[in-house]
Amino acid sequence: MSLKNKLNRLKPHIKSEIDKPKTEAVQVRDTPEIPFREVWEQENVSPYYFDGQYCLVREVIYPLDYQHGHYKFRDLLEAVSLWNNDQTKHPLSAAGHEPRDLVFFDTETTGLGGGAGNTIFLLGHASISGGSVKLKQHILPNPGEEVALYQSFLENADYTTLVTYNGKAFDWPQVKTRHTLVRDHVPKLPAFGHFDLYHAARRMWKHKIERMKLSIVEQEVLGLERKEDIPGFLAPMIYFDFLERKNPEGLLGVIKHNETDILSLLTLYTHLTFQLLGRDKAQTPRETFEVGRWFSYLGQSDKAKQKFSGLAEEGNEQEAAAKHALAFEHKRNKEWPEAVILWKESAEKGTNKQRKEACIELAKHYEHREKDLELALEYCRLAQDIREGNPTKKDMIFNADLQKRMNRISRKAFPGQAQDSPN
Amino acid sequence: MKVRKNMQEILQDLKVSESVKRNIVHWHTIEEKEAQTEQMPDDLSEILKKALERRGISRLYTHQKSSYEQIMKGQSIVAVTPTASGKTLCYNLPVLQSIINDPNARALYMFPTKALAQDQKSEINELIQEAELSINSYTYDGDTPSNIRQKVRRAGHIVITNPDMLHSAILPHHTKWVSLFENLKYVVIDELHIYRGVFGSHVANVIRRLKRICTYYGSNPVFICTSATIANPLELAEGLTEKDMVLINNNGAPSGRKHFLFYNPPVVNIPLNVRRSATLETRRLAGEFLKNKIQTIVFARSRVRVEILLTYLKELVKHKLGPKSIRGYRGGYLPTERREIEKGLRSGEIYGVVSTNALELGVDIGQLQVCIMNGYPGTIASAWQQAGRAGRRHGESVVIMVASSSPLDQYVIQNPDYFFNRSPETARINPDNLIILIDHIKCAAYELPFKKGDTFGVAEIEEILEYLTEERILHQNGDKWYWMNDAFPAHNISLRSASQENVVIIDQSDVANVKVIGEMDTFSAMTLLHEEAIYLHQGIQFQVEKLDWEEKKAFVREVDVDYFTDANLAVQLSVLEEDKHRGNEETEIGFGDVSVRAMATIFKKIRFETHENIGSGPIFLPEEELHTSSAWISLNKELSEFADDRLEEGLIGTSQALKHIAPLFVMCDPSDVHVVPQVKAAHNEKPTIFFYDRYPGGIGLSEKIYSGIEEILDQTKQMVMNCQCADGCPSCIGTDTTSIHSKKDVVKILDLFIKAAV
Repeated sequence: MSLKNKLNRLKPHIKSEIDKPKTEAVQVRDTPEIPFREVWEQENVSPYYFDGQYCLVREVIYPLDYQHGHYKFRDLLEAVSLWNNDQTKHPLSAAGHEPRDLVFFDTETTGLGGGAGNTIFLLGHASISGGSVKLKQHILPNPGEEVALYQSFLENADYTTLVTYNGKAFDWPQVKTRHTLVRDHVPKLPAFGHFDLYHAARRMWKHKIERMKLSIVEQEVLGLERKEDIPGFLAPMIYFDFLERKNPEGLLGVIKHNETDILSLLTLYTHLTFQLLGRDKAQTPRETFEVGRWFSYLGQSDKAKQKFSGLAEEGNEQEAAAKHALAFEHKRNKEWPEAVILWKESAEKGTNKQRKEACIELAKHYEHREKDLELALEYCRLAQDIREGNPTKKDMIFNADLQKRMNRISRKAFPGQAQDSPN
Repeated sequence: MKVRKNMQEILQDLKVSESVKRNIVHWHTIEEKEAQTEQMPDDLSEILKKALERRGISRLYTHQKSSYEQIMKGQSIVAVTPTASGKTLCYNLPVLQSIINDPNARALYMFPTKALAQDQKSEINELIQEAELSINSYTYDGDTPSNIRQKVRRAGHIVITNPDMLHSAILPHHTKWVSLFENLKYVVIDELHIYRGVFGSHVANVIRRLKRICTYYGSNPVFICTSATIANPLELAEGLTEKDMVLINNNGAPSGRKHFLFYNPPVVNIPLNVRRSATLETRRLAGEFLKNKIQTIVFARSRVRVEILLTYLKELVKHKLGPKSIRGYRGGYLPTERREIEKGLRSGEIYGVVSTNALELGVDIGQLQVCIMNGYPGTIASAWQQAGRAGRRHGESVVIMVASSSPLDQYVIQNPDYFFNRSPETARINPDNLIILIDHIKCAAYELPFKKGDTFGVAEIEEILEYLTEERILHQNGDKWYWMNDAFPAHNISLRSASQENVVIIDQSDVANVKVIGEMDTFSAMTLLHEEAIYLHQGIQFQVEKLDWEEKKAFVREVDVDYFTDANLAVQLSVLEEDKHRGNEETEIGFGDVSVRAMATIFKKIRFETHENIGSGPIFLPEEELHTSSAWISLNKELSEFADDRLEEGLIGTSQALKHIAPLFVMCDPSDVHVVPQVKAAHNEKPTIFFYDRYPGGIGLSEKIYSGIEEILDQTKQMVMNCQCADGCPSCIGTDTTSIHSKKDVVKILDLFIKAAV
């Protein structure tokens, strides 16, 4: 039996990654002639030659007054200067940077996960240059042209700080992976700072957006609606089709998608800055609260307190949550009287979770600092009485810990007596 | 109170007790063996010499010394080493010495399981600490926390992993391992003999991929393999690594005195030649040792058998030993459970363990005194591996093999010479099996593009690359082929099992706490996890309430019943293409591709103890299809002397007998080759017996049967004629035939085949 016959016979056993009609293998090219050159040129795409290979480069320039969502690109200048003037310490801070230092970056790849075989076929970036926003996209016309692609991407690389959407986990490691394969032929990858806006968006809007996709953030937060957008998951298929037919038609949609993604990063960075630095008048109380929590997480208690205090007033939807959080900021600064007042309020009016936490804090406070064991025990009992529905695993751990605490306090309070038995 | 007996006393009992003595058909004593040692190598660093001395090692066993010398010359080796012969020093010494000489050097250790990898890490780290060296050795497997992974990739001198991890996590991400691949000096493959059959064929391809990546990064590692005793360690090592190897087999390790007993249960029905159940006899013998708190390991051939024996033994000693002191151990238990059992055995908290061949591997469970095999394990190599579990370097130990009624067991137990004198099995791999090869070419293309003229090991691949291009998985550009697909190919390819998907077993006894208790490959699941099947796990019975075949989930609930279930598998077979053909006027022998369709039909409920059939039911599962290679033999002559039903019964009986002997001669696991008779084969309308490989595309067993069919037929005839039964019994032609002519007919049919074949 010939090998081909055998292969066809065994076909059901061979996992086929896709089901598509067959086509002839691509002809070997002699000269790097660019198919559909006119179409490309209409889209501001020109070839870049290097070392017998070529890639395609698309350049687009936007004026600073261009409106993208709720903001103009010009607002990014203000965002950067806010950081420079404000001196607030924050992972997204652009203090010490010029606006042009920020490079907004996104890639398109042939697969989802990381791995040596996942090819990047589009590297796109934008930054402020002179009086405009310059967007540049490096496109891989064939899998064998990666040296040209990375040469083109890296030769004038002046990337001080990248701004990406999930680029820390995905795009940049993948750039490193593919770069490793051509590293002997192209410049080294530069070292630079990295703002990953995906994590920032999660912190800010997890409460209202379930899947933190950039397109959803655009819609829900940035005031952008994409028209005729090609969903990202189709990008690999479109690229494979492009490799076979060479017609840029479909790929131009992916290029456009990538362009929108990058431009949205400018808007998103501006918006996040305005949110964090209190420049956004339209900020919701919940957003202010999340900003406070973020500062709290960063250990910047003053900033956090400032945000929470602003919310801790009558009639505000975030009042209870803000007071509860504020109590913990006071705790961190050992401002016990302030903390206790707020906890007492929380223990009375908060959600069940807040009430439990507040009771425990009060119990700790009276046991360790005030040495008022009876009151401590009282707050433990209060916590014990807060129940709802079927206990979860977390509840059970909480209850077990609580029981331990009560046993200990009882032992201290009534030495020599029998302990409460766990119920 | 009765005083506990020690092992000598029990042995004495076995020798004198009337009811036992006559069943021991062979008592083989292997005398203790003195150590053979040599001086430490001159070029071994003082640091290592001193560290070894502190651990009580001042001289090396002969095989350790030879290994060291060859490896330090840059020669790849395969060392054949029985259990507990200090094989780890064969590779640890040269590897550590090389890293001392060049701190940039790296080594990759590959063990077949995570457990072995853990063991080895502790062992090498003890030596490293003793020598106060700053050498990093890490395990890298599914359990490695992600924060440590980066450190392992960058700074691990010795990376200890398993083939699955190499296949799906290291090679596809080779760009993250540049410092390993650029400096890879050694690849250590322990337990080489495990890499045979389908698994071995996969692993050989993983090694082709590894070597391809090493070449890309400019390294050319020396391969160090260690293997248990098999017939062809050198051939296997060279086949697996495609490197020239030197065989090291001058084992210098000492061993204690070992008694090897062949125990054949007594015949209880002479005309039918029915023997007392091997399982019940195993229970009696194991119980005797366990009652006296002598650590005993019992090996059983199937998962079900493990669970049945476990139930029996727990019951037997429940008043003497705690319930947790006897445990089961097999594939399908979760890793944490297994680790706990291994630990219990080492510490002596667990007295008895009933295991499938899962414990044949070098998992460290300390030294047990007694090993009982419930039935011949199927191969000589496997039997010696299991026997090695009892008694390590010093002291006396006992191994008892209890024969079942199966023809293979009876053949082995009645021919001790076969067992003790014949060289153990040949391990076969077929890395060029198309299905397997294509899977790995996909992975390899994902890792690095292929170039025209590239080879993949010794395989020719251009046609395959073209095929994959047509299938739109690769993209050809110029003289290179690139991976052009959004999938991650290694994730869809399992090295361990023929069928790619496993059935997950979900225990829903406690509605609030539904949990996964194990998994099973789809082919086994057809007969073991059908609805209403009794599935045993750690001696607990579960009934399968629902089998979701689409989603590959079996939902089970704990039950307490006095039976187990046994399912029938109906098999249909047709020839697709004949590749080879020979024969004469009377017979034809063929080899080629076949399609096998298997369907689970009915199951029986069988009562414990009495083994009587107490009910049955249908199984509704879709047919599974398998394309594989097959050898067959057909009779050309009109068989007018046989009536149709007698011919059918004769062929069934003949197949039964062949099924047990064929694996002996192609030296494979009995479940790897199946035998199917057809009164009128579809392709030539002649009475035919088929042998086929149980893996898509075949793994080379049928081809071997095709060329050696005469000897198989001849030995099968001897076996049937020598059987003591009158008209056929489970020990020769099976019980599916009922006629009193059956045995004679089988011999006649075998004769016809033999006459014609010569």
